[in-house]
Amino acid sequence: MGEIVSESDDITVMDMEASLEHLSRGTVRHVDVLLIVTEPYYRSLETARRTLPLARGLGINHIYAVVNKYRTEEDEKAVTEFCENNDLEIIAKIPFDNNVTQADLEGKSLFDFNPESPAVKAVEKLAAELPERVPLNNSSASKFLSKPNC
Amino acid sequence: MKIGISGKGGSGKTTISATLARIYAKKGISVLAIDGDPNPNLGMALGLDAQTLEETHSIPRSITERVEDADGKMKLVLKDSVEDIKNLHGIPAADGIRLLVGTKVETPGSG
Repeated sequence: MGEIVSESDDITVMDMEASLEHLSRGTVRHVDVLLIVTEPYYRSLETARRTLPLARGLGINHIYAVVNKYRTEEDEKAVTEFCENNDLEIIAKIPFDNNVTQADLEGKSLFDFNPESPAVKAVEKLAAELPERVPLNNSSASKFLSKPNC
Repeated sequence: MKIGISGKGGSGKTTISATLARIYAKKGISVLAIDGDPNPNLGMALGLDAQTLEETHSIPRSITERVEDADGKMKLVLKDSVEDIKNLHGIPAADGIRLLVGTKVETPGSG
């Protein structure tokens, strides 16, 4: 799978298995950027913290935390503080959004269910932010992405 | 740009992966989505209908073969080009997205 990742389209999005095993197995070596999705509670943050050195050890240059499902300002503050203390750079914060649960219950994609939902809006920001942080060297995606206007 | 998305189960990584893929694809960018989770859900999150999901198959192991490298070590390599793999095993999704499912477990013990 790793080799498929390294040669494919303008943008490859790889949804990885939950455990840290994929990192040791090396599939992830071929990615340009690793997003570590974390929820604002201790065990999730702890997993994110432990992922960081493994990913660095594999030579991934761009590693960011994506905070997901925060509900309150306090949540947000606590996560931000944890990440700062643990050298985890946050690239996006996605609020808790009932649309996600509802889309899932109906077996629909969130994007089709409600493209204006707060979670989709937050991921749009992430989509615009990524090419700002990760240089696009070869791909034709750069012509679409170099000047995000959203 | 190759984006890997990790996180604990239930953290929302599949929803985020699918939404990112849909957003980029909507802009006209060619997007390959890879489901690397042993319990694959990316297809549904991308918006594939039930029938397509039912018919999806994972990439067979036969795309790789074991070869001996110069040092006498065995390693796995791809037999076909990435384009061939995508054309043969890629599942078309919205806005031209291609989905590859890596590790779907079809029957117990088949792995």
